[in-house]
Amino acid sequence: MGSNQALDIKNKEFMLIGGLLIIVAGLMAFFPSLNESDTTVDWISLPLVGFPIIVSCILLAFASQESRARKEVLAVPIRLFTLVASMIPLAISTALFFDWLILVDWDLMYNEYALEKEYVWIETIGVSWHVGMDGLSFPMVWLTTFLVPITIITTWNEKDGATYHPLLLMMGGALIGVFVALDLFLFYVFWELTLIPMFFLILKWGGKDRRYAAQKFFIYTFCASVIMLLGLITLYFLQPEGSGAQYGTVTGRTFDMTVLFSNATAYNMGDNVFLGKDMQNVLFAMLMIGFLVKLPAVPFHTWLPDAHVQAPTGGSMLLAGVMLKMGAYGMLRIPIAIFPDAVVYYQDVIMAIGLISLVWGAIVCLGQTNLKKMVAYSSVSHMGVILLGIASMQPIGYAAALFMMFAHGIISPMLFAVCGAFKHHYHSMEIGAMRGMAKWSPYLAVYMMFAWMASLGLPLLAGFVAELMVMIAFWPEYGWWILLPGAVLAITAAYYLWSMQRTIFEGGDEGQPPESLNGETPPDITLSENIGMIILAIFTVIFGIFPFIALGMMDQWTVAFFEGVFNMGGI
Amino acid sequence: MSGSEIIDYAVLIPLLPFLAFPVILFLGRLFNGTPTWVKNVKEGGIIALVAMGASLILALSLIKEHMNKVGAANVFTWFESSWWNPETGSITTKVFGFGVYIDHLTVMLLFVAAFLCFLINIFSIGYMNTDPINDNRNHRFYAEFVLFCSGMLGMVLADSFLWLFIFWELMGLCSYLLIGFYYERPSAAYAAKKAFLTTRVGDVFLVIGLVMLWNLFDGTLDYDVLFNAENIAAVDSGELQLALGMMFIGAVGKSAQFPLHVWLPDAMEGPTPVSALIHAATMVNAGLYLVARMFPFFGAAEMGALSTLAIAIAIIGGITAVMAALIAFVQMDLKKVLAYSTMSQLAYIFTGLGSALWLANNGYDDLAAFAMGASLFHLFNHAMAKGMLFMASGSVIHEMHHAHHEVAHHGHDDHHDDHHDDHFDAQSMENMGGLASRMPITATAMFVGSMSIIGIPLIGGFWSKEGIIASAWKVALKEPIFLLPAMLVLIGAGMTGFYMSRMWFMTFAGKPKTEVAEHVHEQTPWIPIPLVVLTFMTLGAIIFAGMHAGHWLGDFESGHYTSFVDGIGYEMEHVFLNHDPFLMILTYVAIGLSLVLGPSFAMALYGGSLDGNQKAKPWMQWAINLSAKINKRSNFDNSAWANSSLANSLHKRLHFDDVYDAAMMKIVVGFAKLSAIFDTRFIDGVIKTIESTSQEASRRLRALTTGSARDYIMMTALGTLVIFMLLWGVA
Repeated sequence: MGSNQALDIKNKEFMLIGGLLIIVAGLMAFFPSLNESDTTVDWISLPLVGFPIIVSCILLAFASQESRARKEVLAVPIRLFTLVASMIPLAISTALFFDWLILVDWDLMYNEYALEKEYVWIETIGVSWHVGMDGLSFPMVWLTTFLVPITIITTWNEKDGATYHPLLLMMGGALIGVFVALDLFLFYVFWELTLIPMFFLILKWGGKDRRYAAQKFFIYTFCASVIMLLGLITLYFLQPEGSGAQYGTVTGRTFDMTVLFSNATAYNMGDNVFLGKDMQNVLFAMLMIGFLVKLPAVPFHTWLPDAHVQAPTGGSMLLAGVMLKMGAYGMLRIPIAIFPDAVVYYQDVIMAIGLISLVWGAIVCLGQTNLKKMVAYSSVSHMGVILLGIASMQPIGYAAALFMMFAHGIISPMLFAVCGAFKHHYHSMEIGAMRGMAKWSPYLAVYMMFAWMASLGLPLLAGFVAELMVMIAFWPEYGWWILLPGAVLAITAAYYLWSMQRTIFEGGDEGQPPESLNGETPPDITLSENIGMIILAIFTVIFGIFPFIALGMMDQWTVAFFEGVFNMGGI
Repeated sequence: MSGSEIIDYAVLIPLLPFLAFPVILFLGRLFNGTPTWVKNVKEGGIIALVAMGASLILALSLIKEHMNKVGAANVFTWFESSWWNPETGSITTKVFGFGVYIDHLTVMLLFVAAFLCFLINIFSIGYMNTDPINDNRNHRFYAEFVLFCSGMLGMVLADSFLWLFIFWELMGLCSYLLIGFYYERPSAAYAAKKAFLTTRVGDVFLVIGLVMLWNLFDGTLDYDVLFNAENIAAVDSGELQLALGMMFIGAVGKSAQFPLHVWLPDAMEGPTPVSALIHAATMVNAGLYLVARMFPFFGAAEMGALSTLAIAIAIIGGITAVMAALIAFVQMDLKKVLAYSTMSQLAYIFTGLGSALWLANNGYDDLAAFAMGASLFHLFNHAMAKGMLFMASGSVIHEMHHAHHEVAHHGHDDHHDDHHDDHFDAQSMENMGGLASRMPITATAMFVGSMSIIGIPLIGGFWSKEGIIASAWKVALKEPIFLLPAMLVLIGAGMTGFYMSRMWFMTFAGKPKTEVAEHVHEQTPWIPIPLVVLTFMTLGAIIFAGMHAGHWLGDFESGHYTSFVDGIGYEMEHVFLNHDPFLMILTYVAIGLSLVLGPSFAMALYGGSLDGNQKAKPWMQWAINLSAKINKRSNFDNSAWANSSLANSLHKRLHFDDVYDAAMMKIVVGFAKLSAIFDTRFIDGVIKTIESTSQEASRRLRALTTGSARDYIMMTALGTLVIFMLLWGVA
């Protein structure tokens, strides 16, 4: 009976939505393309980035004007609409991978991008709307488009769905924007844009201390981005002046990454060092701080557990699944590509930070009593693996870092979905509050077991390949330090198994329902949680058994990267 | 290659059970409780059986084809990744592939795995589906069971150490799940975690070893590259030894050897078919298989360069053999005795492998082949016998349960009491006794199995055990430090005789010790089939002696001892009429220890005749009579020993578990808890301090907002000036 009311959307509002869409599309069309002869369809700007953001903005504007009672009613159609809208980017990115829409040449050299599009934006300072994808960004783009609908499904019953689900959609659009941006200015805009929906997700749907967590999250990562921004602006002003379509008419400099990359690469050939050795090291460090906080690496990680514990399930899923990878992506995209000599200079430092994150994250996990906090720290630990891959200075290590980003992007949302379901049904996050879960909630128990096993790197699940590759790349460079990542493998198993022993197992013949349930029978998970988690589980298995699906592209990218940036191999 | 060969289908052997896993799981979820599912499909048991049967048939045809032929088939490329070589400066693509590799070792272990998986599947249908506690969760059992079988078969067939490891971990997962099958029991949950974590410690080293090996051999772990003698000779043997040593630690964990042995006895928390399959017959052999796979390295590497590792393997084996046997002396739980016995026998095989590897590395190729054959033959015999022993023990426990149920109902006449009496332990040998006449098939199986493990002449394990002891002594004569494992395995032979006999006589001889034991009958269908099959298998193991005599040992070209008769003849001559007088004496000493000394002590302590009207089958009755006689004559008093501090610490399993637990819970978890506090108080504390300081500062800065236009203009001017100065400075 609610549905009749729900569908009672006035014609005026339909016209509003349609009108806005047309206006934005029109605006996009009026952006002058830099390359006049390029008449191919732009599959990135509007379909992948603009569409989700615009739709969510409209939905939010629309819903926020309604009364509280009508918001409840509207939640159902808005949710459905958001889900459908989020499927469109997924369909497009999947189709692009399989060449269903157009033939995409993924076999790219360094600094070549598929589906590249460039529009003039702010001519005076050399800013352009420049987007494109390569083996580094495409897996992350696909992952984002994949996770947004999954997150919407998993958290289908979240309260205030009229604004909650559009925020998730906006988050997805902003994240994709980060990954496809080929202009430093654009990159930074999207980078900061991702903070906004996440800030509101934590602030409005979070737990008891959400206000503190949201502020901390925002200020902490924002401060780091400011340091990064300073680095970017310095880089902008220090770069050699030039003339061309991409260069600013007033400043004579450009924010365009591809131009910067080709300048840097050309300059770095031989014994030259782009911008000089000292300046490279300083700028590299500034940029890296911004990315390390986002990753996060120890000791800049303390915003993460707070944000995760307070964030709603959907927020955590996207935060851990994609947002953390922005840090790793940023590193590989900007500082490492432009300052290869600084990478060599800082190699041991990166390795040390990676090892510390890895070990410290794992040890702190073992000491946790809160399930979600444990999972949050496990993310810190896993992100350390990425740094190890980068520090190894081997194509296989970089490919491992890429695959780790991807695999962790599938596994960690599942971890947080399990935590969310646990909280949702047992009203507690304490490990040990619910024992014998296998009896009461067999589905949740199976998913928990599966996700935990995937995260501790069980072979044939997605996480294993990356860990193996990192170890392989690590040994020749750092030798017996390998015992530390080895020990972490064991500690990871220890904290996961120990937590399972006290949740899934035990409980005696009758099981032990937690006190927080007040004597009710413990329920199993809802249908929507079930659907969301099973899809994640299936993809964990697929990428575990057939890693080449994603690794082929990543390997290709790393080889091109090493030849282009580090001047190794072919050239 | 024309047409399709059987090896092209070999990948189906692990794949069929792998696919059966989701099928059973989902059908079970759908049809749980429906009559067809329970009665006709046995809650998934039949699906599993079909899959295992198909795998067995395929495996047998594969074995027949590759009895004397190495075979390999590349199935698919798993993934590719690139490697930058700092010396040449070039980037090359490294392929991580999956394929099938078949040689003598594969053939032997493939047979053991496929055959036992199938038999134990039959046993499981009898054991699991007749116990009400398993109702509606058997589909989980069979799903995990087939997944395990898939892991084991895959590990045996894999053509690289990488995939060996992958399937190895898959087995570890299934072992974890199946030990924790009765998840509601805290002891099972604890045991499952312990098993996974302990083996994980070993696995970490195995991974590191594999990584080292990958780097040594220029980016591959495929057998066909690794086993190439030229490639092996080209690598630095010191590093090779380190890599193999690391891998050996993994084997120590998986095969439950000292000091990573603590998980195996606890693993008996799983259902008995699991103990039979995973923790006796197949998975624990994975470690042995891994070490046996290293054989080519030792043959082709620089002479003597890998001796240290070979000695270490043998010493670990020797220590475990005696230690486990000692602990088995005092165990009262039927399955725990068998668990320690497993540990001890696996240790024998490690000692044998250590000898073989030492001999291979020091140029004694013939002796090495012999030692290797003996070790693998013992693996074979032990798997058959121990699988059977566990199934027989399962049969005993199962019938004890039934009998207890019966007794409880009749005795108390209490119809409400449907639960088992918690105080009654159906696994304790203190509650058994006199079962030989009541369970003839089980008792026979146990009798033959025990004899095989003890090494009673002419039966199964005898041939291989003599070979291992002889090999160890052969090395000891050349390398003095080897005297340690050689002595230990010799002593261990007598100890095996004692604890296995003790187990059999306590369970099957004498008068029933409880009312329950009097009511035991052999009545469950399905269970006797595998017992009978394996009894004959164990008795006739001499037929496979050809394997012992070098035939299975890769010496395909020369092919001596290809016929069974030759093998038997060689075996007989070697064991009983060895031309080396030292070895001949050794053989008879070992026989004396294991046949006479050990069993007679056991008989003296635990022997006894059956109830007056009861009569066992003739092949067991003589042993019971003999034990009764010895028991009466000797009047042996062992109370002094039973109360000794050694016996006490044996009861506590020599304190290993306590120490490990304390180290884990107190030191590691304690440190972790401190770290967690440090993380929030200190690392986050610094951030919080910065935050509160900046808030304080901003509160003060607010004072600048005076509201006076003059102040603002002043500040704007100052700011502009500063910006211009900065710009000049930069320019």
